[in-house]
Amino acid sequence: MFTRGTLIYIVQRLVLITLAVLGVSSLVFLGIHRLPGDALFSEHLRGTQYELTLHHYGLDRPLWQQYLTFLGNMFHGDLGESLVNRGVPITPIVLREMSVSAEVGLVALIFTIGLGMSFGVIAALRQNTWLDYLLSTTSVIGYSMPNFVIATFLILVFGVWLENITHGNFYFEIGWPGRYGSIGAIWLPAFALGFPSASIVARMTRASMLEVLQQDFIRTARAKGLAPATITIRHALRNALIPVITVLGPLAMAIITGGVVVENIFGIPGLGKEFATSILNRDYNVVIGVFTGYAALVGLTNLGVDLLYVVIDPRIRY
Amino acid sequence: MAATPATVVAAEPIAPAQASLWSDAWRKLRRNRLALGGAVYLTLVVVVALTALVWTPYPMAEVGVGIPYSAPSLQHWLGLDTIGRDVLSRLMVGAQVSLLVGVGTQLVVLAIGVPIGLAAGYFRGVFDQVTTFVINLFYGVPNLLVALILVFLLGPSLTNIIVAIAATGWMDMARLVRGQTLSLRERDFIEASRAAGARPAKILFGHVLPNALGPIIVQATFGVPAAILFEAFMSFLGLGVPPPMPSWGSMAADGITAIRIAANLVIAPAVALSLTLMAFNFVGDGLRDALDPRQRR
Amino acid sequence: MATPILQVKDLQTQFTTHDGVVRAVDGVSFDLYPGESLGIVGESGSGKSVTALSLLRLVPNPGRIVGGQVLFRNDDLLQLSDEEMREIRGRDIAMIFQDPQSSLNPVLRTGFQIAEAMLAHQRSTRSQALRRAVELLRRVRIPAAESRAKDYPHQLSGGMRQRAMIAMGLANAPAIVVADEPTTALDVTVQAQILELLADLNHELGAAVVMITHNMGVVAGLCTRVLVMYAGQIVEQGPVEQIFEDPQHPYTWSLLKSIPRVDAVRHERLRSIEGIAPDLLRPPRGCRFHPRCPFRVEKCFSDDPHLIEVKPDQRAACWVTMDRARAEMGADDLLDIRPGSASGVQAGRLVE
Ligand SMILES: Nc1ncnc2c1ncn2[C@@H]1O[C@H](COP(=O)(O)OP(=O)(O)O)[C@@H](O)[C@H]1O
Ligand code: SF4
Ligand SMILES: [Mg+2]
Repeated sequence: MFTRGTLIYIVQRLVLITLAVLGVSSLVFLGIHRLPGDALFSEHLRGTQYELTLHHYGLDRPLWQQYLTFLGNMFHGDLGESLVNRGVPITPIVLREMSVSAEVGLVALIFTIGLGMSFGVIAALRQNTWLDYLLSTTSVIGYSMPNFVIATFLILVFGVWLENITHGNFYFEIGWPGRYGSIGAIWLPAFALGFPSASIVARMTRASMLEVLQQDFIRTARAKGLAPATITIRHALRNALIPVITVLGPLAMAIITGGVVVENIFGIPGLGKEFATSILNRDYNVVIGVFTGYAALVGLTNLGVDLLYVVIDPRIRY
Repeated sequence: MAATPATVVAAEPIAPAQASLWSDAWRKLRRNRLALGGAVYLTLVVVVALTALVWTPYPMAEVGVGIPYSAPSLQHWLGLDTIGRDVLSRLMVGAQVSLLVGVGTQLVVLAIGVPIGLAAGYFRGVFDQVTTFVINLFYGVPNLLVALILVFLLGPSLTNIIVAIAATGWMDMARLVRGQTLSLRERDFIEASRAAGARPAKILFGHVLPNALGPIIVQATFGVPAAILFEAFMSFLGLGVPPPMPSWGSMAADGITAIRIAANLVIAPAVALSLTLMAFNFVGDGLRDALDPRQRR
Repeated sequence: MATPILQVKDLQTQFTTHDGVVRAVDGVSFDLYPGESLGIVGESGSGKSVTALSLLRLVPNPGRIVGGQVLFRNDDLLQLSDEEMREIRGRDIAMIFQDPQSSLNPVLRTGFQIAEAMLAHQRSTRSQALRRAVELLRRVRIPAAESRAKDYPHQLSGGMRQRAMIAMGLANAPAIVVADEPTTALDVTVQAQILELLADLNHELGAAVVMITHNMGVVAGLCTRVLVMYAGQIVEQGPVEQIFEDPQHPYTWSLLKSIPRVDAVRHERLRSIEGIAPDLLRPPRGCRFHPRCPFRVEKCFSDDPHLIEVKPDQRAACWVTMDRARAEMGADDLLDIRPGSASGVQAGRLVE
């Protein structure tokens, strides 16, 4: 499946991703270069103290020097330190938050693919029945609902109504208690993130299943005497997934960007939450770090999706 | 067609299938119940938004027209928000914002994306290469993140939001128009008018554009809910239209803090937003089935 | 001869379309004997494929088998449950399709697709089946079978793909192999090799082969008996040599006249017959061939001829038959083969 060519391809892509990450962070760095100093100025700092702080962050030097230092640090994976919490390095924070976001995003993607595929296959196998119409309508509703609306309703149902109905026996803490301890921690936000995309996957799976089921090789499989379930899963579904993967890239992007809001609603300590917090705190160094983290996450996700092609479709080789 | 003399074809520039294509499309669209329902709902939203220009039950920004967090009542159909403003009034004004952003963005996208796509597809060469390079550069980068960076750099305002969303949206439109132009320019009736000496502007806007209109309309229709969603998203994060201007996104964000006390504060904008997006998607689906020949069976 | 292994009786298969009912197979009956090689010929659209698919109950939507019997070892296949039918497919009756490119699953390894046919019907492990698949690939003369088995279909040539399809058909040593135009989609040079392979396998394995083709040359090279189909019906049947020498149905006669020479398995369409194939939505009244038949008589416009014994072992559905056409209408010297040219019965005469 993975040949030497694939390895070379992966290395090339990683180089490109690194360049893209540098590009994005440079863009943001240069775009907001005046803001960090202004932000510090308003922080009740006066006179020499302000000068000293500026000096500490190197903000008193000419822009080109600042930029070169920034680039140099980037090469060492150093994103500088927080403007608000002096002395706290940003890189470990961003890395930790990236892994949290990636984890939630991955579960969301599993929802997307799992739910989307199952609904799509069922709708295709029951074409033009009430079940098909029900699933198709649900899917339009699904992809029309913004993920933060879904997140809100989930909180309303699980966090408010269920608690009221059960007189507090079902208690749901919005927040991040650790890992998979509470359904709120990862399953609900992942569902909110994944569901709109699942609707799109369902629509596409249905359409491509219907097309694949017409293909000659399905007839061959039936002529061999294979069981219907084998034909559906092994022969039809795998081929039906090929066009679906083409949208997986954009859908993964939707999940990543959706995290910006959904993490805030559910209090998940990921990149999205940091994004909002850092803007609110005007901690511009962290803002740059967050965008850098996003650029890396996006690049790696796209690479992952492209590699998925190779797994699903043997005709594709890099 | 191929054998027809160039002059004759130039006299009748539009491909013969065009007229019936539009009436066909109209007939198909009228039979699509979901699209029709969507259109009716959107008309309602437009009426509400227009009404809000001259009248709302209460001034949308006036604080304390009642007790904060009040549940829906006869005086305040949708209740009062965290600082005692009338939710219905704010929802009505929010419709203006959503429509303005949605439609405004797509107008900018059309104004930028269509000419660039036409030129890139028709003249090809360096211009095409540069355009394609830029588009490919941003391909795979989430539009929302780019728009967020832009709003962040430009500062939150209605205009800046439209600019930021359009700055990412024009690329998809340009890509579509370029593709359409590339395939159309090889068609006989366009080659014929080129041979007859028609100027590029006349060919592009007189012949190519009318024939590419179907997919363009479909894409723009789907672009509207996408833009509305982006705005709601930004407003939800506090990067949207500045207060006291309401937006469905910021109303939902405010409401979510009060979700245990007054769920109506978040439900109202969330439902309005979802229904509007859904309606646009139904209409878009209907238009695509009716207009986009690629989807035709 | 021995008892037939397959008896088809009055098979009727229809497609219900928006425009009406298409009777794609309309009362087809024939016997298939163990180990024999039976050809089915006819123009494109005459119902050959639908007949073949009906045998295995694989008719695609909106097609339905609406009547008749398919007796296999005393069972009527049309009465079996879906599960019982599934057991028959691939195990007792295998099918080889026209286009090996689209008939193989692009995302599964070739060897596995063959092994799968065995695993569906036999108790064996995956690795045993895969090993058997390599043997089968060798048997259909694919070089380097071991590594080819691991290839995906797109990595094989067209001829190799069809060999793999044949290997798949033979996987369970079926009693009957139905081959639907197995060479049509292949290069001319490869066609002969595939036919040769099929002939060898027919002899070696003793499986009965139903060879569907629109090419008379293929029938001549491979088959012992032949059915000629026209517009969903069998119009003539009998031993190949006899029919080639002395066709009795005017349609068979014109088919044979239309091949330049009966020497090669050339990819030659049966095209030089005057007129167009009939519309099965509204088939002609009387004999379905009458709009194109040079020898038609008035009866042909109103009455449907039935298959009757015209020679020993040879049956034809024709009111005139070629013996009479030769004797009374000078068929052998006929230069003009337009409809009605020999008998002088023009269509207009009978309209009102
Ligand atoms: N899927 C289908 N839908 C409607 N009609 C069909 C379908 N498949 C076959 N037919 C009809 O059945 C007739 C016979 O087709 P077929 O058996 O494929 O002919 P051939 O002799 O070329 O194999 C065709 O003329 C066509 O009208
Ligand atoms: S002679 Fe009559 S019955 Fe015989 S084939 Fe011609 S039309 Fe049919
Ligand atoms: Mg056929």
